[in-house]
Amino acid sequence: MTSESTLFSNRWLPALLVAPFMLLIVLFFYVPIFQAFYWSFFLEQPFGGGSMFVGLDNFARVLSDREFWQAGWRTILFMVTGSSLAVLVPLILAVAADRKIRLSLPARNVLVWPKGVAGASIGVVFAFVFNPFVGILAPLNQAFPGIWAPGIDGTDAFITLIAAHVWGGIPFNFVILLAGLQSIPRTMHQAAAMDGAGPWRRIFDVQLPLIMPQLFLTLVLEFTESVTSAFALIDTITHGGPGGATTLLVYKIYKDGFSGYDLSGASTQTAILMVFVILLTAAQFVFLGRRINYER
Amino acid sequence: MKISILAAAAALMAGACSAQAANIEFWYGNTGPVESAIKAQCDAFNAAQPQHKVTCVGQGSYEVSMQKAIAAFRAKNHPVLIQFFDAGTLDLMLSNAVVPVQEILPDVKWDNYIAGARAYYETSGGKLFAQPYNASTLLFYTNRTELEKAGITQTPTTWEEVINAARKLKAAGHACPFVTDGDTWRVLEQFSARHGLPIASRHNGYDGLDAEYVFNTTFAAKHLQNLVDWRKEGLVKLNADTKAGNYTAAFNAGECAMMEGSSGSYAASTKAFDGKYQLSVNMAPMYKGYDRHNTLVGGASIYVMKGHDQAQVDGAKAFLDFLRKPEQQMAFTAATGYVPVTNDVLEAINNSGDAKAAKYATAAIGIESMNQPPTADSRGIRLGFYVQFREIFMEETQKAYGGQQTMQVSLDNAKKRGDELLRRFEQTYKGVKLP
Repeated sequence: MTSESTLFSNRWLPALLVAPFMLLIVLFFYVPIFQAFYWSFFLEQPFGGGSMFVGLDNFARVLSDREFWQAGWRTILFMVTGSSLAVLVPLILAVAADRKIRLSLPARNVLVWPKGVAGASIGVVFAFVFNPFVGILAPLNQAFPGIWAPGIDGTDAFITLIAAHVWGGIPFNFVILLAGLQSIPRTMHQAAAMDGAGPWRRIFDVQLPLIMPQLFLTLVLEFTESVTSAFALIDTITHGGPGGATTLLVYKIYKDGFSGYDLSGASTQTAILMVFVILLTAAQFVFLGRRINYER
Repeated sequence: MKISILAAAAALMAGACSAQAANIEFWYGNTGPVESAIKAQCDAFNAAQPQHKVTCVGQGSYEVSMQKAIAAFRAKNHPVLIQFFDAGTLDLMLSNAVVPVQEILPDVKWDNYIAGARAYYETSGGKLFAQPYNASTLLFYTNRTELEKAGITQTPTTWEEVINAARKLKAAGHACPFVTDGDTWRVLEQFSARHGLPIASRHNGYDGLDAEYVFNTTFAAKHLQNLVDWRKEGLVKLNADTKAGNYTAAFNAGECAMMEGSSGSYAASTKAFDGKYQLSVNMAPMYKGYDRHNTLVGGASIYVMKGHDQAQVDGAKAFLDFLRKPEQQMAFTAATGYVPVTNDVLEAINNSGDAKAAKYATAAIGIESMNQPPTADSRGIRLGFYVQFREIFMEETQKAYGGQQTMQVSLDNAKKRGDELLRRFEQTYKGVKLP
């Protein structure tokens, strides 16, 4: 093993190499976050010119707002269902692709492609795919009129959103999980097979336990990402509707801040959301992370 | 040495800037045929005089334009002229970011503007804050060809007749008799104004920032409940019920036979109908027993933003003067369907010998509609954070259309959430008096 000091002779060089990226993070992450926390204690006029310190008034206002809690519950519902499916579906695909079955090689390639598609583009495509008149469910609507109506029925809109989210999450999670599966030594499979374990048994007793680090990674990333990455999908597919049924917190913040000019309220919600995500990730590490064995 | 060179360069730059300072920027939000018409006006202005040059920047929508303007103003990087829509009127009046046009251009004969347009944008002292630009109002569009097929020869003028016609259309097998998007401007604001109903107390906020919403207690609540019932009956369709996915697109494609829509979409409809259907536009329908009052001026107007030097302001003035010219307004009306709102332009249209032409159809009807007898509640809407209220209203009423709750519950919720916005606005601009 090489020690770090032999990699770089000059101790300032590494810092210099990281500097541009750090600058971007500071400019586009820490400064806005600081601003959000700062504004959450002020009542800010949209065009500037007057801002008034209001203490915890903004927090009191946001926390007593029914819409905030509803958007919060929707965010959690989306996070739990969306993220679980966004890991489960790639897991099934990865287990299948890992086996030496026909088409597993081309599948490994094809399944990665959606990674190159931006969230907003996925949204536009899914808006068409799930269109009640021309989409794939149109025949269903012809047989039972009105059964699929994402423009009217909030549940249908939510399902559309989750489907788009899961589809968009396949490539990354698939690659990670497949890499995990492929790194399991063949001898393990062979040994298990010699002991009489069938394919199913091997999945549950050999493969899944051995890819726990990868599963944990994808879950943590999915949970934290689903809170914010839903934005592009909502903005292109449902615009938060119908009747606010797909207004997740991240979209509500955008709406409040940019179309409601409620900079203070939006900042307060940003601060709350941020703390929530940090706590969530910490909890995952505390309760799940410790149980995972990284040694093979 | 270096410093002196820098200083000289800076001085040169400053000199260069002031020499061509008549380069001004104008931000607008429209798209489609309207955007083409705006661009044509910008080009015409630049060609007509050598002194000033306007750069017109499309922002994609009114909302986005406003968002960017807020960010730009905070960064002191804002344009001198900006188009804003009706809902943002009070937000801008109190923003301290704009100068009333009447203050900058005191010599213009502003009383040339029809009373309905002035009332929406003027201060309590009668000073116009913004120059009305693409003014529109709500009109009733019918597809004559489809109506006649169903045996309806008279264009309906009341809601009762509209619904009768809708029933006939449905009986004749028409899938979409009447279409709307349930937009706040169409189903609440314009409805309340022409029926003489208030949306909020204190005359829709004209008398003070302490107004409260009252629309959930007026006849508008009954109308909105009717819309829910009519939709269940298959007479009224919303955006999501149409194949086209959008009410104007559905009407233009011939999918829907009647719609309530802005005069600003007239050009698109005539173009789509050309050779296929006959189009007719009339004043929006009334309920029987209600006297007709004026509809509100919608669309958008142009504001002059603070913080620019004299040369830029001069350029802005020249551009505003140019846009007010009758021939410019006539060309804009003919190209878009937006309504000219000055008396001299109406006269010019009447004298042009073209007054009955289809391209001016919305001008005559639109003005007639906006010139109906006004009430204290049909002047306009002077409520804070109103852009967001429009969205809250849509969100809550969609729940009623979707069957999640009754319309009355939706309206009561919208009122409650709207009042919270008003109180926050009042607190944000504490101690500020309405201009």
